[in-house]
Amino acid sequence: MDDLDPVSLAVPFFILAIVLEIVLARMGLVRANYEPKDTFTSLAMGLGSSVAGLATAGVIFAASLWVYQHRLFDIPMTAVWAWVLVFLLEDKIYYWFHRLAHERRFWWASHVNHHTSQHYNLSTALRQTWTGGVAGTWLLWLPLSLIGFPPAMVAIQKGISLVYQFWIHTEAVGKMPRWFETVFNTPSHHRVHHARNPRYLDRNYAGILIIWDRMFGTFQPELEGEPCRYGIVKNLATFNPIRVAFHEWAAIGRDLMGARSLRDAALYLFGRPGWSPDGSRETSEQIRARWAAAAGAARPSPATGAETGLTPDVRSESPA
Amino acid sequence: MPPGEDTALDQAFLIQFTGSMAAVAVLVGLAAWARIGRPAPGLDEARARDLLGEDFPEQRIDQLWIAREGKGALARSGACALVLVQVGDGYAARRLSWCQATSAMFKNGLLDIRLGEVAAPRAVLAFDNWPPADLAA
Repeated sequence: MDDLDPVSLAVPFFILAIVLEIVLARMGLVRANYEPKDTFTSLAMGLGSSVAGLATAGVIFAASLWVYQHRLFDIPMTAVWAWVLVFLLEDKIYYWFHRLAHERRFWWASHVNHHTSQHYNLSTALRQTWTGGVAGTWLLWLPLSLIGFPPAMVAIQKGISLVYQFWIHTEAVGKMPRWFETVFNTPSHHRVHHARNPRYLDRNYAGILIIWDRMFGTFQPELEGEPCRYGIVKNLATFNPIRVAFHEWAAIGRDLMGARSLRDAALYLFGRPGWSPDGSRETSEQIRARWAAAAGAARPSPATGAETGLTPDVRSESPA
Repeated sequence: MPPGEDTALDQAFLIQFTGSMAAVAVLVGLAAWARIGRPAPGLDEARARDLLGEDFPEQRIDQLWIAREGKGALARSGACALVLVQVGDGYAARRLSWCQATSAMFKNGLLDIRLGEVAAPRAVLAFDNWPPADLAA
């Protein structure tokens, strides 16, 4: 069981599912758009991510093992309750990792490439980071090993989460039954996450369970009247995988070179993406605020909508 | 690691990597064959204004020029130039100074604007002439 890698096992399924999505779309049976260069970039990013992951896999494994040697409890890998618990804890960690990866530029630099496609199809799911290991977000999962979950168990659960998140990268599925949309992350919820519409920016960070977004005020349902426009705030004008992988790191480097104080340098690195000392750029929050003001939407009160940034018309909307 | 196992691992990686590259080629070929990209008719003025409005909602457009075959656009907005460049079946937009746009190299009917970003190195727009004859003073 220690050698079980859900992602590796799922690769043939990934390929078949992409083939199926393309063929069904070609036959006009499902909604999906594939642009060949975009598809190439997504798949090349996926392949590159696997290779880049090898470079840091040893360090991550060794760190997990070291932490596990200092564990607080002995948690059996064979107990059902342990799997239920690791599922919930891992998914909650994923939510916070994902939120951090969107709300702090250092980690956004690593994650942004996943959002660079202007398409949303199953190949987009494979557009993965090349620099995740270097960005160090894997540290967030170490407490699970400290609690006493075996590193292999954590790795398997992380793999299950990644495999789950593959199928939600599609326009072929509309909305799932209401109960499912309420509890689980779905294609509809994740379409919102990949959209660049101001209303949809930095929403729906969930991995498997959407309940975390509902709990922490970042949930936004997909609205019929507002189709998702995919990509990032400043879309890329290139399909070159190298540029896709490193463009935000390069932009950070350039900003740091021009920083006029340590404070500016720190905020260029760890501030919100879009932060600038003179306010000449915009963060997601500022874009959403500008959009809300322009749309004449009522400003959300601190007690209700401040966390979510949701306007009343959004809050009254519920998933179908 | 027992002797020879590292070689076996190398071989396994090579086989897996080669197989993956072949799969990528097949899938990209399939996507090309299917022709299921978004419809991308050439830009007209209304569409160009819409797209620029998405990225620069508060920017007033004084003048707009559509590139040949509608594969991009360039707008003047005060002291700024707004550039719209086709990327596959989508678009990317950038704002730069009007001086940058007017001083960009124009050769063989192509305006080559250096955008200076890793994410968007340049925008090449096809125009009959540049600066345009109808450019307001």
